Amino acid sequence: MKRIEVKLSLTVVAPLLDLMKDSADVLQAQIAAPLTLDDIDADFRDEWRAELLAGQQEELSALMGLFNSDFYENAVVAFDEDNAEIIVRACSALRLRLRRHDLRRLGDEQLEGGGIDVETLPEPLRKPFMCYLFLATIQELIIQHLDGAILKGPAGEMSDEDGDDDDDATGDEGGDREGA
Amino acid sequence: MRFEFARTGVAPEEVAESETALAVSGPWKVVVLNDPVNSMSYVVLVFRKVFGFDETIARRHMLEVHEQGRSVVWSGLREKAEFYAFTLQQWHLTAVLESDETH
Repeated sequence: MKRIEVKLSLTVVAPLLDLMKDSADVLQAQIAAPLTLDDIDADFRDEWRAELLAGQQEELSALMGLFNSDFYENAVVAFDEDNAEIIVRACSALRLRLRRHDLRRLGDEQLEGGGIDVETLPEPLRKPFMCYLFLATIQELIIQHLDGAILKGPAGEMSDEDGDDDDDATGDEGGDREGA
Repeated sequence: MRFEFARTGVAPEEVAESETALAVSGPWKVVVLNDPVNSMSYVVLVFRKVFGFDETIARRHMLEVHEQGRSVVWSGLREKAEFYAFTLQQWHLTAVLESDETH
């Protein structure tokens, strides 16, 4: 099994963990990404939301579980085929939360441009921004080294009892429904 | 993940009738909207994982989302569209369903 171990700086990461924990706690009851369910049957919306939330809770539990007492002894976190997908998703959820709450004063262009100097940020934004970058770094490490494991796992496909004649994954170069 | 709840409490004949109605009413589109948080590499990974796109196609959709604000990543019957929208939302992408009225 492919496995990567990452040695972190305790002095850098430990101060971020409280914020990560606080954000994860909020996300126990709140979906991280904006959710538009207007086109979903009203009868299903609550269940839809509940199932999303349950998955998100599981992801965050896995991520925060990396920073247990062992972490404080050796400062190492490990990623492998078993946890790669769930951790990369948890990072996404936490980053979305940080963006919408702690970093809401920053513009999209600033964040997407990646040219922010932490030292120039107001003090209250520094830790959230460091946290935001830290989680992105974890994601990139996993995607760089374990994307094969994630892609190899169970695919996001449902059983196709209808056959494929009536649907169109728009990856088909010949598809005519592609584009917005 | 299985989208198990979609049929809870619905009688088989009602499902059959509903599916017929949806098939007749035309396909639904699964649309991914841009967000300023998820990285390009993450979005590409998600598209490859969920739809089985190759790298080139996944990147093209990712860039469409990034540059145009949205990309239609799938279209077809309502039930499967719901499944894909739900799966994308599990990956924390902003995915919505739209009726393909032009079809």
